[in-house]
Parts: sequence; structure tokens; C-alpha cells
Amino acid sequence: MLPAVIPVAFVVIGGVGTTLLQSLGLMPLVGAAELSTAAFDDTDELLTSALLSLSIAVVSTAIAAVVGFFTAVLIISGNWGGRIVGVLGAAAVTVPHLVGAATVGLLLSDSGVLARLLGVSPEAWPALVAGPTWFAVVAEYAWKESAFIALIIVGTLATRITSYDETAAVLGARRPARLRLVLFPLAAPSLLVASAIAFAYTLGSYEVAWMLGKTYPEPLSVMALRLFNSASLTARPEAAAIGVITVVLTAVVVAAAMLGLRRMRAWR
Amino acid sequence: MTLSTSNVDVERAHRDQLERRMPGDAGRPLSQSRGVMRTARILSTVLMSLWFALPFLPLVLWSFANSWSAPDLLPMQLGTDGLTAALANGAVAAFGESLLLSLIVAAIATPVGAMAARALSRRTLPFGRLVSVLLFSPVLLPPFAAVLGINVVLLRAWVPPELGVILVLVVVAIPYTTFSMRVAYAAYDDGFDEAARTLGATSRFALWRIHLPLIAPALARSAFLAFLVGWSDYLVTLVVGGGQLITLPLIIASSASGIGNESSVAVLSLSAVIPPLILLAFVSRARNLNPGKKS
Repeated sequence: MLPAVIPVAFVVIGGVGTTLLQSLGLMPLVGAAELSTAAFDDTDELLTSALLSLSIAVVSTAIAAVVGFFTAVLIISGNWGGRIVGVLGAAAVTVPHLVGAATVGLLLSDSGVLARLLGVSPEAWPALVAGPTWFAVVAEYAWKESAFIALIIVGTLATRITSYDETAAVLGARRPARLRLVLFPLAAPSLLVASAIAFAYTLGSYEVAWMLGKTYPEPLSVMALRLFNSASLTARPEAAAIGVITVVLTAVVVAAAMLGLRRMRAWR
Repeated sequence: MTLSTSNVDVERAHRDQLERRMPGDAGRPLSQSRGVMRTARILSTVLMSLWFALPFLPLVLWSFANSWSAPDLLPMQLGTDGLTAALANGAVAAFGESLLLSLIVAAIATPVGAMAARALSRRTLPFGRLVSVLLFSPVLLPPFAAVLGINVVLLRAWVPPELGVILVLVVVAIPYTTFSMRVAYAAYDDGFDEAARTLGATSRFALWRIHLPLIAPALARSAFLAFLVGWSDYLVTLVVGGGQLITLPLIIASSASGIGNESSVAVLSLSAVIPPLILLAFVSRARNLNPGKKS
């Protein structure tokens, strides 16, 4: 037990604790430690970034949850098609996010592979990469996380779900009714947990938004890393403040998901 | 009364048993779709396959393209310029460092996670719930927030950057290994260990010859997940590593931020995609041992 608990506690509590201390000005690089909330002062900037990060995370997680659920249904059906989708989904899960970002960039840019496939000239192609819609960023997260969500659902339910599905079929339930009343309620808890993990990941992840996103406004993680690496002395506490805000946002969403999970269990 | 067994297909039943197909398993005629639904299923299968496969296409096409200007559907000239450029960027050394780092992370996080899972599955642990929450927390924690803080701690404690990277990545991997081993231990029967001990096996012998072979497939899955954590990481290696470790994602990022490097980015990315796929193929072939089954 202890070999796992000690390093995790050290990194999690030590990491977040130090970030918190830095954000409050208690661990300056030079000079005396002094408690202040100066790092949180630029509220307009922080709010813009937080809203941007949240919207990216909400949209991509929503797409990933829908696609992931239907992918899981296909995989569980056990047909040859489901098997192919299962293999491709598992392959997508193993791809590092950074590589995903690189390849989505090659796919969606104005001279990218998709534009060529569709025969659209670079001038007519919308600015999907680094454009105002954050399309490429959302697409990359939705792609990777949908595969993740699908595999989590399949992993937790593959053995149980088919027998319920067949029972309902024997009792005369039609396909849409089985999907809505059998498959979805059974998959809902793992769908919720997997979506919460995907959401937390998307909110805190750096490399995809950094590679495929616009330079301004920045999502929280990109702004934090830029400030962290900048030469200015006041920038470190600001970077840490963004870290603290992101931790709080993640904690709120995860807590909401856990409450939802509890209600689901009670409902059963 | 006579009993006829002519309608029982023994061969088929035996085959089903070998494949462990039970009535109610997936792919049975009962829930098979027909008509419109069948068309819808095939269509959605094609769409889903495209959704998952399409991002792999640029990697393959660009990897072997020497020149490929904008409107052309396929590369104009095939060649190995991308490979040459990737090698010039230090791809081989970075591949080696990535591999070493991921293997070390897997080698530490897997046994640690297995031990934690074993302790958690016994349910006698004090504060078991709290410990579960703590061990799961790295999955939910925004990596950059923890990394900014822990980086300062590690620097002040004079921990070498390589060790720092390994430590943080092990912590990120522990939730995956712990919880996949937790699932395995939930289905594990302690009776095998106890029987072995009753028959006179030492605890070491029971561990190596009974316990580990039984949980080996789950260990392989956990190790694979931990490997992926190390293999995929960019941010921890960048910030905590402080330039001491140049792994594959780092040179992919630096190549991708330049212009006109498409083919070398594709080659590097492809080389980052293939090793996990090979491991995945091995891991998914690993079957659970079935005591008493003829092999």
C-alpha cells in the first residue's frame, strides 16, 4: 500500500500545495514572502480563458460521450463491423495526444489531407486549425476521448449487457426501446465516469490547444505555461493562480459527476 | 422412450465451448438487426470506422511524400526525405529515450499498483476509501497545475530532473495500474494460493508459481497502460525534465511548430504510434489462465 500512497501523496499534495502557495505570493523566486491575491487580480483575462477552456472541454466531451456511447453499442453487438470499430478505437486510444494533434493538423489544415480529398482549394477551406472556432482542438479531443469512453463502457459492460438486451428482445422490445430503456441506463454510470475523466483531462491538457489553437485568447493551460516560462517575476504567481483555478474548476465538475453517479445508484 | 441426439451438433457445441461462447453472448441471431436497421448498422459502422481511422491517413501519406503541393490528391513524389529529416532531428536517440522512460515507468508503476490493489481488495485497510480517492486523484488533476508546483519542490530538493520525470510519471500511471489490478483482484480466487500453501509450498513458491501466473494477463494490461503514460507524455518531460530528456513527443512538437516539416512530422508521429500498437496486439492476445483447461 505505502509504495503507492507515498509518491502519489507527495506529488499530488506537494504539487497542488506548492502551486497554491505560489499563487498567494508565499513562495516568490526572490524577495520576501507576503500573502497577497495579486495573482488573481486580472479577472477579465482569467474569466475569458476559463470560459474558453470550459467551452472547449464541454463541447468536445459532449461529442465524445455521444460518439463513444454509440461506438460502444456497435462494439458490444459483436458483429464483424463492431470488431473492426473496436480495433480502430483501441488503436486511437494508444495514440499520444501530441501525435493526435500533429496528425489532426495535417488532416484539417487549409492544405491538409481532408481539403485535398474533398477537392476544396486552400483559399476556400475554412480556418479549422488555429481558427476562431477551435474546431481542430475540439475535433482532436472528441476523437481521442470518444475512443476512451467507448472502451471504458465496453470494458465494464460487455459481459452483462447482452443478456439484458436479449431478454428485452424476447419480451418484444423494439430496437429503439431497447437502446433507450436497456442499453443506455446500463451504460449510464460508466458513461458518466468516463466523461468526467475525459472532461478533466481536456480542461487540464496543454499540448493540443497549444499546437492547434489560436494565439489569443488562450485556454488556461496555455496561458499558465506561457507565464511560467516568461522572464517576468510576477508571472510565476499568475501561472500558479491559473493552476489553482483549473484545479477548482475540475474539482467542481468531478464532484457534480459523483453526485450524479450517486443519484443514479439510488434510482436503481 | 428413446432419446435422439441427432439435432445436437457436438462439433459446434465443442467449438462454442472452446471459444467460451455462451447463449446470450454478443452476435447471436436474437438481437441481430434486419432490414432498415441492418442498413443503418452497416452505415454507422462505416462512419465510426472512418471517424477513428481518418486521422491515421495523413501520417501514412505524408510519411512517404517527398513533395506534395496543395491541390494534389496524392503525393507527387514518393521517397524517404521525411525519414532522412527525422533521423537528422535525432529521432533514433529520442525513440530510445522514450522507450527507456516508458519501460522504467511501467516497471515501477505496475508492481506498486498491483500491491496497492491487493491491499485495497482485502477491505481491511484503514481509511480504504480515502486511499482509493487519493490514488485515483492524479487522473483528474490538471497535470500542468501539479507540475508547476512539484517542479519547484523538486528543484529545491536537488532531485535530478530525470528522476523527477520518472517520479511524476509513475504517479500519473499509478491510478491506471491500481484500478486495472483492482478489477483483476475482484475476480481473483485466494483459494489457489491457500491450496498451494496447504500442500506445502513456501510463500515465495506460491507467489511465483501460482499467484503471478494467474494474474499475469492483468499485469500485462496494467504495464501496457503505464507504458502508455510514459510514452504519451509531453508536458512533464518538458517542464520537470528541463531539457535533460529529449523524448519522441518533444521532437515531434518542435518539428510540428516549424513550417514545411510535414513529412518528417509524419515519420516521427508514425514511429510514436507503432510501438504501442504492437504492444496492444500482444496484450490483447494474453488470455486468462484457465486452471483445468486442456491447452
